[in-house]
Amino acid sequence: MLRLIATIRKEILLLKRDRSGLAIMFLMPMILVTIMALIQDAPFRDYQELKIPLLLINHDEGDVGKKIEQGLITSKIFEVTNFNGTEKEARRKVANGDFEIGIIVPGDASEKLNARIDQFVEETLHSLELPVNDSIEKVHGPSETTIPVFFAPDIKKSFKNSVLSSIMHVSSRLETQSILNEFKSVLNEGEKDTTSEEIKDFIRFKESESGNTVVLHELNSVQHNVPAWTLFGMFFIVISLAGSMIKERTDGSYLRIRTMPGSYLTVMAGKMIAYLLVCLSQCVLMILTGIYLLPLLGLPQLVIGNNIPAIGLVATCCGLAATGYGILVGTLFNTHQQSATFGSVSVVILAALGGIWVPVYVMPEIIRILATYSPLYWGLQAFQSLFLSTGNATDILFPSLKLLLFFLITLSIAYFINKYKNN
Amino acid sequence: MTKDAAIEVRHLIKNYKGVIQPAVNNISFTIEKGEIWGLLGPNGAGKTTTISILCGLLKSDGGEVIIHGYRHDSNSHAIKQIISMVPQDIALYPSLTAFENLHYIGNMYGMQGKILKDRIHECLNAFGLENFANKPVENFSGGMKRRINLIAGILHKPQIVFMDEPTVGVDVQSRNMITGFLKELNGQGITIVYTSHLLEEAQNLCSHIAIIDYGTMIASGTPAELIHQHACANLEEVFLKLTGRKLRD
Repeated sequence: MLRLIATIRKEILLLKRDRSGLAIMFLMPMILVTIMALIQDAPFRDYQELKIPLLLINHDEGDVGKKIEQGLITSKIFEVTNFNGTEKEARRKVANGDFEIGIIVPGDASEKLNARIDQFVEETLHSLELPVNDSIEKVHGPSETTIPVFFAPDIKKSFKNSVLSSIMHVSSRLETQSILNEFKSVLNEGEKDTTSEEIKDFIRFKESESGNTVVLHELNSVQHNVPAWTLFGMFFIVISLAGSMIKERTDGSYLRIRTMPGSYLTVMAGKMIAYLLVCLSQCVLMILTGIYLLPLLGLPQLVIGNNIPAIGLVATCCGLAATGYGILVGTLFNTHQQSATFGSVSVVILAALGGIWVPVYVMPEIIRILATYSPLYWGLQAFQSLFLSTGNATDILFPSLKLLLFFLITLSIAYFINKYKNN
Repeated sequence: MTKDAAIEVRHLIKNYKGVIQPAVNNISFTIEKGEIWGLLGPNGAGKTTTISILCGLLKSDGGEVIIHGYRHDSNSHAIKQIISMVPQDIALYPSLTAFENLHYIGNMYGMQGKILKDRIHECLNAFGLENFANKPVENFSGGMKRRINLIAGILHKPQIVFMDEPTVGVDVQSRNMITGFLKELNGQGITIVYTSHLLEEAQNLCSHIAIIDYGTMIASGTPAELIHQHACANLEEVFLKLTGRKLRD
């Protein structure tokens, strides 16, 4: 026990004296989380909070124009601005980026829609051999209404498709309601049913929770970046840990330690515990940054939920995985340059795959598959299930076990490499 | 094993993978307790491999090593308590102070509390470093680093000390202090196994010299015996006569 405590104390003293190492381990993740949270705040809000500015020119004085406007407003997707200028001016405003989308409702939209509906109702009643109301006008020529929709030049195709889909939804709802109204009107011999205005959707979609987990908070820039960069910082100890091991080997300390009584594993355990404490300190510091510092910069406050022991467990598993990886890198390479280069590049790759920069769900499918092999992804999954939802035992147990397995595997490989090198 | 033998080595063999010539080729020797035993040889002769096997850093491929009556392969913990190695490099943590370095090493040998602190101050005092106890080792001169390195090796009062070129790269004063201390240490009954390329120093310091080349022991005896036996003026001449003047890698 004395050897273990002595090694932990020695490692902590060495870390305390290494100012550049401390900056890499503590300051760098803090700066990264602050910058990345600020940078990604707008895109996250775009996805979840911001409404799309839409310019509407309504030339139609009938129901269609009103209902399209009403539908766009009630969709809660668009921030609708009515425009009384010309179509050319509207197009220029959208082209300049003042608005993301422009919609022009033609003056005859209601007239054409009503004519089209009348025709549809007549054809339907005729096919059902029901009496046709004489008041229904016969439609001659094309009755389709074209509503021009135009986009700002920097809008991506996928975004256009989703917007068009939302507009189509508004439009089809309007059509359905009008058709039903017309049917009721015809079948009730001309009396329009006022309740038809209140026709509700037969099928409704309601967002519900997956599994037994209850989602408590939406993913925002802070909720994503704090756990993400905490993990990145934890894994970046690889450089310091591997460097310390290589230095001990090159300056002869390793030889001296091996001639001392007791197992070398005790010395390695002391080193691991010291770096695990660093990882846990990083985690606490980053969480405090998310709770107290980031809101001062206008960002949302980090919410970590109530399960503090579970957060501690996940952080410990992540810290062990990071130290295990550091020991493997330190064992594998013979020079500090080699280990620093490989360590930093490999952590950056694992971080990119693991969804540290951008959430995994926006990545291509092949990367999403590769992501599941990154220990940073496992850690991020576990943290986010605790921070964003009620995160039950299964949610954190599986990623935590994977992190522990990663730790044991890296440590075992390091042990065999070390044994091979010593003989 | 003889009663007064500190180390007994029989038919020691060590091969490295991919190298045809054995690094240590069936060597046998006995080091008596209280000797300063010098192991000399050109670069690549097998000195470091031999010392590494004796210290438990490497496993041999054959032969037997007995240290203070303990068989090497089955009593490594007991052997590690009574031996110490002073590496050629300054095997200390530069950012830690002299006291912190020695405190850590003392703890690793199971020493703690007042006994350890007193011992650290005693050793620092003996080597003229008392006033530098709380200074980081990285600020020390080369000679001071060597002295601290040496203290780290004798802090736990070992019975056998392995020293790999303990005076390399130090000034005359530090060398004089170190060799004086080694003699004093030896006077207390501690066995010293010593390697060096400084043959004059070895001649003056060692009670017994062994010369090894290509993994084989080619000469063994007191310095005087070797000089007389090979009809040379000093140990350096003996060394060159036995190992040749060809440069080694």
